[in-house]
Amino acid sequence: MNKVYSLHDAVAKYVESGDCICFGGFTTNRKPYAAVAEILRQGQKDFTVWAGPAGGDWDMMIGEGRVKAYINCYTANSGYTNVARRFRAAIEKGELIYEDYSQDVLMLQLHAASLGLPFLPVRLMQGSGLMKYWGISEEQRKALDKVDDLKCVEVENPFKPGEKVVAVPVPKLDTAIIHVQQASPDGTCIIEGDEFHDVDVAVAARKVIVTCEELVSNEYIRQDPTKTRIFGECVSAVVWAPYGAWPSQCYGRYDNDDAGLKEYDKASKYLDAEDAKAQLAKAAAKAEKAAAAKPEDEKLAAAAAKAKKAAEDAAAGTVIPETFKDFLDKWVYSCETHEDLLNKLGGYRLMRLKNEPHLGYSTRH
Amino acid sequence: MSDYTKYTKQEMQAYAIAKNIQENQIVIVGTGLPLIGASLAKRVVCPSCHPIVESGLMDCDPVEVPRSVGDNRFMAHCAVQWPNIRFIGFEANEWLHDEDRMIAFIGGAQIDPYGNVNSTCIYGKGDYVKPQTRFTGSGGANGIATYCNTIIMMQHQKRRFMEKIDYITSCGWMDGPGGRERAGLPGNRGPQMVVTDLGIMKFDEETKRMYLAYYYPFSSPEMVQENTGFDIDVSRAQLMEGPDPEIIRVIREEIDPGQAFIKVPKA
Repeated sequence: MNKVYSLHDAVAKYVESGDCICFGGFTTNRKPYAAVAEILRQGQKDFTVWAGPAGGDWDMMIGEGRVKAYINCYTANSGYTNVARRFRAAIEKGELIYEDYSQDVLMLQLHAASLGLPFLPVRLMQGSGLMKYWGISEEQRKALDKVDDLKCVEVENPFKPGEKVVAVPVPKLDTAIIHVQQASPDGTCIIEGDEFHDVDVAVAARKVIVTCEELVSNEYIRQDPTKTRIFGECVSAVVWAPYGAWPSQCYGRYDNDDAGLKEYDKASKYLDAEDAKAQLAKAAAKAEKAAAAKPEDEKLAAAAAKAKKAAEDAAAGTVIPETFKDFLDKWVYSCETHEDLLNKLGGYRLMRLKNEPHLGYSTRH
Repeated sequence: MSDYTKYTKQEMQAYAIAKNIQENQIVIVGTGLPLIGASLAKRVVCPSCHPIVESGLMDCDPVEVPRSVGDNRFMAHCAVQWPNIRFIGFEANEWLHDEDRMIAFIGGAQIDPYGNVNSTCIYGKGDYVKPQTRFTGSGGANGIATYCNTIIMMQHQKRRFMEKIDYITSCGWMDGPGGRERAGLPGNRGPQMVVTDLGIMKFDEETKRMYLAYYYPFSSPEMVQENTGFDIDVSRAQLMEGPDPEIIRVIREEIDPGQAFIKVPKA
């Protein structure tokens, strides 16, 4: 069976508003950014999310208001942005319904989903705030149809009376999206390097979109079955999307786009122009106060003058720094397709990201 | 050329980390300073150690400093690429088998006298649901602090060393002796020390409270007390000597030449 779709058609058919969804990859590695961009363009929203170790992928979706409930364990473009900025802003403003599990528990929950388990007992999170505090209250949970009624329950181990363990729910995923190195039209996948939770969610989800660096024939992909990791019958759609993990890494193929991740780090600080003006005005006031408190400190005085100029320029509209919305306009919305994005990035930029075979990463990225 | 006889606070911290890794230990590292310390151990101080990362990459020996635990720089230079769940299972089984060969580095924003660590959020005027400052969340730290002996990395500041922290992400000795057992945690695991830019703290055998074990050539017991937000016993403190120039050369020229994690001031 031929499951090859265009990116547009795969996302239009298999990603629906309100889905319970999980993306593959690990913070800045093999994140399915091409599909994320397509979802952003098409407008699906109200997702209940099992985020795994997330990065800019879910930060963009949160910033664009597409998330209804965010169940997570870690959200950052590690090494570039310490805490994902739209995620952080949404929580600090009280605008995001979210839940924290430890990464261990969340990854085991996704694995339990792949095993078809009814619930999962763990010896984790005990004694910590992760058990004590619920981001989504029991009452809220009952009103959210795709969120389990309880976060966790301490129970007695039936095989060891007196031993306390923690029971957690098992996700019921509608949709999983992963990016792999090779896939064939029948859905078989080769993942090179660490598989992360990608195989688990591909087995667990009802609908699975695979984007791939290379689309190879059904015969070719099974030449060495020690390399194949996902049975084609688990997969709904296969999409050819070279550099589909950009700006994140793809093992054996390419490295992080340093410039792209740094650009996102800076831009995502400000939601939009209004937010940039407000934040720069606030920063200027703070710098002025600090300088006034120590009038003899020349460094503080210089910093205050600089902050004042930045705030004035922003207020006048002469220099407004790039914002999250600008970043998305530039790299998502102004590109009709993934091919447009690749053309915009340009050949030389992409070639520099290519892994150097003797190292397994790029020194030119 | 850079003067290897002068070193920064962070270089001292990395050296302190390396010195506390033992022969054949399996060392759970993240990115940042612990990785620099573990790399230093692997290259110079204790080459028999086995660095592993929570994404499931085992016995890592990266050439260039990785930026994240899932980085290709780890992945292309390790013995085994396990998925994260295998790492979790390995960590739990080490405890189940009563093995005592693992040490883990974790970090955080706040710590209390019993080594409980917060890396989730600071409440300010708000609460957990709507905090003043939100961080990344647990990542692998909660599971690591459940099953492994840990070395906690902190910046030594009063606002970080607090009698009571807002939120416990990773459990230390809880409220003192027996605290871990009461919470359902392995009682024979827990924080061993806290390595900061001012010294090395350990935990009292009896009370499980933090005390100052070592200060550095550029710090003092008084400095440590001044920068700690709770009463800390400094009476047992000893001086830890600084690193040899060769150690500093290896950090600057081999491990982190791009100064990704340790900035060297221009001479």
